[in-house]
Amino acid sequence: MKKAILYINQFFGQIGGEEKADFYPEIREGLVGPAMELQKQLGEDVEVTHTIICGDNYMGSNTEEAIEIILGYLEDKEFDIFFAGPAFRAGRYGSACGHIGQAVKEKFNVPVISSMNEENPGVEMFRKDIYIFKGGASAAAMRKDIKVMAGFGKRLLNGETLLSADEEGYYGRGIRRQMWLEPSVNATDRVIDMLLKKVHGEPFQTELPIPEQDMVPIASPIKDLSKARIAIVNTGGIVPVDNPDRIQSASATRWGKYDISNMDRLESGVFKTIHAGFDPAAANADPNVIVPLDVMEAYEKEGKIGKVHDYFYSTVGTGTTQGEAARMGREMVADLQEANVDGVILVST
Amino acid sequence: MKLELGNFYVKEIVFGDETSYSNGILTINKEEALSVVKEDEHITEADLFIVKPGDNVRLVPVKEAIEPRVRVEGGPVFPGVTGDLMQSGNGRTLALKDCSVLVVGKHWGGFQDGLIDMSGEGAKYTYYSQLKNIVLVADTDEEFEKREQQKKNRALRWAGMRLAEYIGSCVKDLEPEELETFELEPITKRPSHENDLPSVVLVLQPQSQMEELGYNDLVYGWDANRMLPTFMHPNEVLDGAIISGSFMPCSSKWSTYDFQNFPMIKRLYEEHGKTLNFLGIIMSNLNVALEQKERAALFVAQMAKSLGADSAIVAEEGYGNPDADFIACIVALEDAGVKTVGLTNECTGRDGASQPLVTLDPKADAIVSCGDVSQLIELPPMETVLGELESLGRDGFAGGWAGDEILGPSVREDGSIIMENNSMFCGDQVVGWSTKTVKEF
Repeated sequence: MKKAILYINQFFGQIGGEEKADFYPEIREGLVGPAMELQKQLGEDVEVTHTIICGDNYMGSNTEEAIEIILGYLEDKEFDIFFAGPAFRAGRYGSACGHIGQAVKEKFNVPVISSMNEENPGVEMFRKDIYIFKGGASAAAMRKDIKVMAGFGKRLLNGETLLSADEEGYYGRGIRRQMWLEPSVNATDRVIDMLLKKVHGEPFQTELPIPEQDMVPIASPIKDLSKARIAIVNTGGIVPVDNPDRIQSASATRWGKYDISNMDRLESGVFKTIHAGFDPAAANADPNVIVPLDVMEAYEKEGKIGKVHDYFYSTVGTGTTQGEAARMGREMVADLQEANVDGVILVST
Repeated sequence: MKLELGNFYVKEIVFGDETSYSNGILTINKEEALSVVKEDEHITEADLFIVKPGDNVRLVPVKEAIEPRVRVEGGPVFPGVTGDLMQSGNGRTLALKDCSVLVVGKHWGGFQDGLIDMSGEGAKYTYYSQLKNIVLVADTDEEFEKREQQKKNRALRWAGMRLAEYIGSCVKDLEPEELETFELEPITKRPSHENDLPSVVLVLQPQSQMEELGYNDLVYGWDANRMLPTFMHPNEVLDGAIISGSFMPCSSKWSTYDFQNFPMIKRLYEEHGKTLNFLGIIMSNLNVALEQKERAALFVAQMAKSLGADSAIVAEEGYGNPDADFIACIVALEDAGVKTVGLTNECTGRDGASQPLVTLDPKADAIVSCGDVSQLIELPPMETVLGELESLGRDGFAGGWAGDEILGPSVREDGSIIMENNSMFCGDQVVGWSTKTVKEF
């Protein structure tokens, strides 16, 4: 008998609505709320042994703590698969399912299955980490969504051959693998089919979709650099050695800004890189190779630029999704504009 | 240009007194065949084996595959390579079908060499497990490259071509069981029912990445690295104008057999006059310097445009650096108003999450994908190994390794193996046979 555990929020855990959204994480033996339907759909071969309930706000505001508590609950439990949600279009719930799902998968290496509506921001945040099925907009889709999650979970536990994301109905995880077409169609037939459709202006489906490119036009030049306030932003993970904002070493979702108003350069031992995508030796020995404060200060003294902005901004680029990068970028820009920064040097690694 | 390919369907291959073909039985005089192999004094050891689909046999390191053929009117099967230059693609060439000459190193392999399993799970990864094969297992005195990861494999590859010509010659005076005719009217002389159809060029990018001569595909004996894109008749390719090289990770490689049988060309012939007007082939290449890539793309787009091509198919023999040529060529064609479909394989990494081609462009909106070189493949031991199994781990195969901290060695003590698809012999079949695709999971 295989075992499963389900994560749900305070609302579906029958604790209460918005007023109970700070509900401290709890694990209960047996089935609560949607767990009953999940058990029904999983049938006799898989037992849902526990239900975890956590308030959406609690998870949102105390993410690391909430994850730690829940991982603690799970430490002595035996389980083969983990479910979270379905979260429909509820943004905080979706994000909570993703956070806990990602952590459980990483720590216990079991498959994690969730379901969210395409408009749920949790989809873009966590689709690469866990299986997120394409779900309904509201709880009206509860049964349907759970049926899909359970069906896939059972097949996964049985070691059955799994089809592609599109065929199974989950959001692609960005993992591309070769497979044999059933029924078999050789490449020449596929080329001719695609070519004739393209030539005749009919719709066709490429086998290698090119990710949409969000091109940003190059900014117009700063008219008078000698009066401009210039900030340094980097994705090379340069942070104070204690990494006060706990920016992740890869797949970052957090950024930080650090006061350099009283410095001429970044000292080794005071700053370091937490970026996991390159050999950190050079950047740790001299953080200015990524955040060139030393050179910028020199330019300021020479009058080439007006002023180096009092803060530099940092996050980590490796594995970071385009969506997260764009969000962090927008947040940084808002902060930079408020401080009347005229130009930014964006250092990548 | 009119090419007649006269086919003899080989049902069984046996060794016997006289090299001959009769009623589907190909008999080979082993001694005589080996003497042809040994005409090159660089061949130090050689033996021949016969394998067929279902045999419990693993072949490694496989260096080349060639279809045995003969020209009825005389001349080398591979002009400019195995004999004097002559126009290929005209006249009658006879071919022994459903079989190939496979060239296997007796000991030493390399980056460019591959593996074939004739049965079991591994058989599905390569086209050649479906054929009856005459396997030449040989060694050479090419000491300079014995321990090199990149090998020209010159003596072995040329021995394979001689052997294929020798075997092919046994049907020279026989009437073929089937005649395939390949004929295209000159572009400006085509009847209106052909001219009125959407026209298409096939753009081929054979392997030419090595600056040093001796590793790249040859076009009429000329190194593809030293050429600019040029216009060719499809018959030339089908009739021995191009031989495979010895450079690319093997699943991306197009063997000489692949060129001789190029399924995409044959498929375009089938469509010619029905749905498409097949103009011909623009033979490009895959040189490494950016300027060379850009220059090749300019030439290809100009030629397609000047030929009046409404559409194009671009196929690359390789991945990684060549992806830049592939995408640049597609973009140049699209910019010239030529509707283009790409034909390639992908490299998505061990976790499958890497960008599938090293460059991408939204204009490459129609791609047929034939496989993923980085897929891991684990296979049980086979009863017989022809060649040397250790070479897969020892000699720097593109898809093999001596040791890996997680996966262990490619070649295990019990003879089982773990490897990347990268080293499956011509496994991704970008020439058109591939029934694989790549999907997102």
